[in-house]
Amino acid sequence: MPALRGSLTYARFFVSGELPEDFRQRLMRAIRLRAIQPLTPEDEDLERTGFCRIGDPYAIELGYDDVFWNEYVNLGVRTDRWVYPGSAVRARMREGEQVYKQKTGRDKMGRREKAELKELVMRRMRKQMSPAVSAIDFSWALNEGVVRFFSHGDKAAARMLDLFHRAFGSMSLSLVPEAPYTLADRLGLSKAERSAWDELEPSLAEPDVDDREEGEEA
Amino acid sequence: MDLADRIELRRFVGREHLLWLWFETELFEGNLRTSKHGSFAMWVEGRMVLSMGRERTTIRGSLPGAHREAKEAVRRGKLPEAVGFRLDRGELPASFVLKGDSLALSGLSLPEPPKEETPAIEVLADAPRPKRRGKAKDDADAADADYDAFYERMRRTRDVEEVLEALYADFLALRLAAPWRASVWPAIERWIDGQDVDASGYRAIRSRATKR
Repeated sequence: MPALRGSLTYARFFVSGELPEDFRQRLMRAIRLRAIQPLTPEDEDLERTGFCRIGDPYAIELGYDDVFWNEYVNLGVRTDRWVYPGSAVRARMREGEQVYKQKTGRDKMGRREKAELKELVMRRMRKQMSPAVSAIDFSWALNEGVVRFFSHGDKAAARMLDLFHRAFGSMSLSLVPEAPYTLADRLGLSKAERSAWDELEPSLAEPDVDDREEGEEA
Repeated sequence: MDLADRIELRRFVGREHLLWLWFETELFEGNLRTSKHGSFAMWVEGRMVLSMGRERTTIRGSLPGAHREAKEAVRRGKLPEAVGFRLDRGELPASFVLKGDSLALSGLSLPEPPKEETPAIEVLADAPRPKRRGKAKDDADAADADYDAFYERMRRTRDVEEVLEALYADFLALRLAAPWRASVWPAIERWIDGQDVDASGYRAIRSRATKR
């Protein structure tokens, strides 16, 4: 639980849009609606992301006190995903290929048949295993208009952004990732500074190729 | 220029910000100042990663910026990608790594305040007889501890962020104005080359530019 313990590694996202007047009720409804529905072998989805309680990926019945910590909305962004052990898939594929060859009397399987077999193998494996569950802390400081998401991973951020959009997009709320420009904009740029920003060039000149090769590290 | 270009084509500004922070921490021997926060101690510590394209130099140590390889890497065109800092400002110290491209923090370490020690004899004398505690009470205590820990950590995180934002605002005041090309960048180049930099002259330029 990086938000609660240990050192903090996080990315900031700035919330764009105004909170509606009855935002606590509306946020709570949207969050409950987007609480994770655990992935089951019967589902068509291979991956699913939804909210859970912060610090407890298996707590998915979300109450008001679980979510609202004074001026913070604290949640976990949980992702369920099927992760197949490569060696087990290969072994079952080999078995399947043998059966196919015996039944059809053919030496080789076509590309489409192999894909169908792989799909069948994975579907069967899903019934014998559990999806991988991971959760990342998410803390929305309502009075700052900032979300702190406790991961630097691009994929994790993309999943969280998609979930945020599905949950709160109807309230015209969106997230802008922190970057040198977005922070500058938030701090306030004058008109002259904004046009200077558009004209910026790197200060450090590219070194001559000869110089670089001469000083190359071993 | 559209928003995506302003973000993606100008990410190098974050790396230049790290270079400028490194320059200031060395030039002012770790004594930095912002108009909002007054003076405080900040220095490069732990780790520094410099890169240009696929070429990368990683330096670890108590003072990675002081390593010869660090400025040598800048002379070869590399800019800081991630720099570890220590910030000592009044209450408690904080250490963290700041990333240039995203300005995101990693490994932000906020040591807990030392607990006041009570002599063992007083603890024993005042201790009530142990009672059986219900699970619900234990859970409630644990939840309260989580809330308290969280608010305290967020308060201190916000403190660190505010100092960094103030420094970034000062950097922008210089970077987006005429003194950058005329005075600030030449001073940084001299520093990279190991030449003397007029700290008081630079401070005067900085003060004028950041007085907004």
